Amino acid sequence: MSRTAILAMAVLVTVAGCAKGEEPQTAAAPSSTAGQQVVKTPTGTAEGPACTLERFGGAAFDLKSATVGFSQSEKEANPFRIAETKSIKDEAAKVGITNLKVTNAQSQFSKQITDVEQLIAQGAKLLVIAPLNSDGWEPVLQQAAAKKVPIITVDRKINAKACTDYLTFIGSDFYEQGKRAADKMIEAVGGKGKVAILLGAPGNNVTTERTNGFKDRVKEKAPGITISFEQTGEFAREKGQQVTEQLIQSNPDINGIYAENDEMALGAVTALKGAGKQPGDIKIVSIDGTRSAVQAIVDGWLHSVIESNPRFGPLAFETAAKFLGGEGIAEKVIISDREYDQANAKDSLGEAY
Amino acid sequence: MTRWIRDYGVYAAVLALLVFNVLFTPYFLDAANFRTQLVQVSPIVIISLGMALVIGTKGIDLSVGSVMALAAALTALYLGYGAAVALVVALIGGAVAGAAGGTLVAYVGIQPIVATLALLVGVRGLANVLVPQLVEFRNPDLIALGSSSLFGVPLIVIIAAALTLVVAFLVRRTTFGRQVVAIGGNRAASELSGLPVKRVLVLVYVISGLLAALAGVLATARLQASDPTSLGMFIELSAITAVVVGGTPLSGGRIRVASTVMGALLMQLLSATLIKHNLPQSWTQMVQAVIILAAVYVTRERVKR
Amino acid sequence: MKRTEPLLEARGITKRFPGVVALDDVHLALGAGEVHALVGENGAGKSTLIKVFTGVYQPDGGELRYNGAPAGFASPLEAQRAGISTIYQEVNLVPMMSVARNLLLGREPRGRLGVIDTARLYGHARAVLRGFGLDTDVRRPLRSLGVGAQQMVALARAVSVDAKVVIMDEPTSSLEPREVETLFGVIGRLRESGIAVIYVSHRLDELYRVCDNVTVLRDGRVAHTGPLADLNRLKLISLMLGRDLAEVKSGGLTRFNRDQGAVDGTPVVEARGLTRRHVLSDVTVSVRPGEVVGLGGLLGAGRTETAKAIVGALPLDGGQVLVAGAPLPRGGTKAAISAGVSMLPEDRKAEGIIPGLSVRDNIALAALPSLARAGVVSDSRIDRVVEIFMRRLRIKASSPHQVVSELSGGNQQKVLLARWLAVRPKVLLLDEPTRGIDVGAKAEVQALIDELAGEGLGVLLISSDLEELVEGADRILVLREGAVVGELSGENVTEAKIMAAIAERAHD
Repeated sequence: MSRTAILAMAVLVTVAGCAKGEEPQTAAAPSSTAGQQVVKTPTGTAEGPACTLERFGGAAFDLKSATVGFSQSEKEANPFRIAETKSIKDEAAKVGITNLKVTNAQSQFSKQITDVEQLIAQGAKLLVIAPLNSDGWEPVLQQAAAKKVPIITVDRKINAKACTDYLTFIGSDFYEQGKRAADKMIEAVGGKGKVAILLGAPGNNVTTERTNGFKDRVKEKAPGITISFEQTGEFAREKGQQVTEQLIQSNPDINGIYAENDEMALGAVTALKGAGKQPGDIKIVSIDGTRSAVQAIVDGWLHSVIESNPRFGPLAFETAAKFLGGEGIAEKVIISDREYDQANAKDSLGEAY
Repeated sequence: MTRWIRDYGVYAAVLALLVFNVLFTPYFLDAANFRTQLVQVSPIVIISLGMALVIGTKGIDLSVGSVMALAAALTALYLGYGAAVALVVALIGGAVAGAAGGTLVAYVGIQPIVATLALLVGVRGLANVLVPQLVEFRNPDLIALGSSSLFGVPLIVIIAAALTLVVAFLVRRTTFGRQVVAIGGNRAASELSGLPVKRVLVLVYVISGLLAALAGVLATARLQASDPTSLGMFIELSAITAVVVGGTPLSGGRIRVASTVMGALLMQLLSATLIKHNLPQSWTQMVQAVIILAAVYVTRERVKR
Repeated sequence: MKRTEPLLEARGITKRFPGVVALDDVHLALGAGEVHALVGENGAGKSTLIKVFTGVYQPDGGELRYNGAPAGFASPLEAQRAGISTIYQEVNLVPMMSVARNLLLGREPRGRLGVIDTARLYGHARAVLRGFGLDTDVRRPLRSLGVGAQQMVALARAVSVDAKVVIMDEPTSSLEPREVETLFGVIGRLRESGIAVIYVSHRLDELYRVCDNVTVLRDGRVAHTGPLADLNRLKLISLMLGRDLAEVKSGGLTRFNRDQGAVDGTPVVEARGLTRRHVLSDVTVSVRPGEVVGLGGLLGAGRTETAKAIVGALPLDGGQVLVAGAPLPRGGTKAAISAGVSMLPEDRKAEGIIPGLSVRDNIALAALPSLARAGVVSDSRIDRVVEIFMRRLRIKASSPHQVVSELSGGNQQKVLLARWLAVRPKVLLLDEPTRGIDVGAKAEVQALIDELAGEGLGVLLISSDLEELVEGADRILVLREGAVVGELSGENVTEAKIMAAIAERAHD
């Protein structure tokens, strides 16, 4: 068996050793501070009583010397997760946290639970969690509460009581993102026409909220727009391409496509190119703000992109520092997502992730 | 009657769906529409051909989706040397993965479903290690492989059609093909008859790996991006479905090449029909389930007899 | 329990399967403390009878009585609960679990809260196994033991569940001589404590050592039942094989019709010292061109194994096969086939036909490489070969493209013969070539064997039909327990001599 392992290693080394990919496309490297998150609903506003260290019931500690745990939910295979993990790591280094422990649940919820339990067992004083699910956290929360470990959840909420079970949630408002995408779509098609939706993975709250936000806004603002097609592209580029190919075959009069993430939008672009369409023939609006998508705006294929900012590091540690310093923290810290369109895409390319 | 359904049912079902679409689906008769359906089904057809050979030996190859991903990863890694080199390296990768599965099955004696399940997990992991995130490319040769046409017929479709003829010839007219079917029909008898059982088994999995890798390169060329994380996810199920719906029994000893292609087409048309009529994907899955059960039922009749 | 009434009794048991009567009015009485031998050749009905006793099958007619009352076991579990334990040839325990757990599975000593009390478990297991001459670490997984030791654990388990009847099906087939002695000791103790044993075996020495009574089954009927001491070995064998010593015919019933003169020439195939643990010991066989060599012996004597060893389908611990003087490389049948040695297997269904393929494809299978150019088969060449053999062997099929599984047994057998003749062998090993086929086909196959030998083909013929063996073979080797115990040629090729050779007491 060990011979097989050695052979496998040898193959891997050979394969990786003489590999030579294409030259990377020239794009400005993002400056370290670029694209930083901005708080939309700041600490201590009307979101209920602010959470202080006193109310939470813990004791102050020095962030720099403490063990801090970060639990990532999905494999760092898409730009969002890559940027998210990198941001946490970079900011921890910048703040001077020497003992940051990072785990990755590889999209398995049971693994994420064990990951976090182990972080607690290893003596983590602060936990930053990107939850895979919103429910099922009770056992972990109890363990953390027993040790008075504050938890900051990022990008997805967990269903529990803020300031009791966890400290706060920092993230985007997906419903709001959907609404803003609708505004952009209304602008793009001039308030009337036929629009298709490339839905995200079924049964995912991101999909639900981005869909509802979009539909509600269209109904309210532009009754002239009919949503004549909605099919899942499962947040994947290839699926987005295949569904769009079918779509433009059977609905050649479609005016706009709303893609619930950038990958599906880029798949749609490939499909349009393959069908001989020109940039701008069909208006595409999507959500995320990856570098490739912003580049596609510059090239004219995408109309606009609503950002979903993954760089949680600075805000997370700033919030933690404030909390430890005795300040009150709101139960939700909603970040303000930017948007990219023809006006700012070229200049913002360096800030996209 | 069940015999007729088993032999021609898939053709009848494809015909019925075509008629339905011609009547009720706008723009269905466009040449561009047929091109779209054929292009989309081509990678599945190519994989199903290998799957049909493997199932003919009473085996199964769950690793094909991961091998596609590996091929996508290797393509991205070696594209710097040109599209041809990248293609060759990807095919070698697929052949090696297939040889590993075949060796586990034939020489180590591990059940095909277990051996290829291990590869499903391991090869996907390897692909992700090699290329952790989606890589876009601009190599004109590779893009041409995915998007160019010959006399109006997309290159991908021509490749799939040619491979169908090759595999049909392999099954019907070569010693190897006859031996594959015999081994699936009765392995002990084949061994006593002096057939090179183990070698044939390994070769069958190598062919399946090669075809899966080719499908991976073609899908990658079409997407103009290498995406080992999600490329080929669950495609093994589509391929097995195509084979079974085509009337090839999972119990081995029989390979129906043309019907397998029809099985793949049926599933493609079905999913296209529901998408075009804007019905949710869950419907597609439910109808697919019914068709699979029906196919398994009619092939079961044969086994009982 | 009344003394007159047997412990377990079959009264006129009949069991039918589609197309066959497996048991026909079978009577068997088993008293407490009795060791009863159950013997018979393949298909005689032994395993069916055992399955009726153990609740696997329900009889179609007759009565099963247990403990003096009518009994019917709806399932093996029910029979087991009633006290009927069975030990099969194949050990059916849980290989990954410890020896102790296997021994006491389902009856583990439990402490408070229902948790298994491991200390008591191990102690108890150790004590039980010592009684069976097994001194082993009971905490080790069962699979780490040898097959013989596993068999002893199975036996210990069967006996220790308060059994009243223990059925042993070929219990010694994988035991070492020392373990066999232990087993006999255990059987002696069972007898003393009033437990009845049904002992199934083909090893005559064993039967005569441990059994009190015997029941001989043949073709689903009781051929004889009574005290074993009243039967000599020869008589027992003639009962099993269905050949009455007094009326052995002088021939003419089969289609064999050759002058069984001496065949000269050097052997075309020669097997020397074939040895495999528990299966074959030092078997030497040779076949000359045009010679039909018969292999005689009871079921399990090593006849099939000898043939398989010659073609390379059975791994060997020792020995060598020479074809025309050159040693055959081991590992697979390919080398033997290309050297001209082919085997027609006994089990047509499992090892012979490819059921889903046509008659044509089945015939052409082994000869494919010679019917193809550069790996592409030539349809016209295949058609020619198939046509020749279908005509010569008179294979009845609607067309060469008919699926082989639709043919009768006799025609399937002819298809397999055609498969082997198509590779133009020098030697054919035929394992029960006429079993299970109708009378007409049987005669045709026998005539064909004659004819082929006349053309110079060497044949190794295995048959349980003594008449077929005597009339077909020039020379006969008799096997017993994996070893050659006699060679008969010329005038000595008679049924009586074969039976005498089988009956001969080992090591006399």
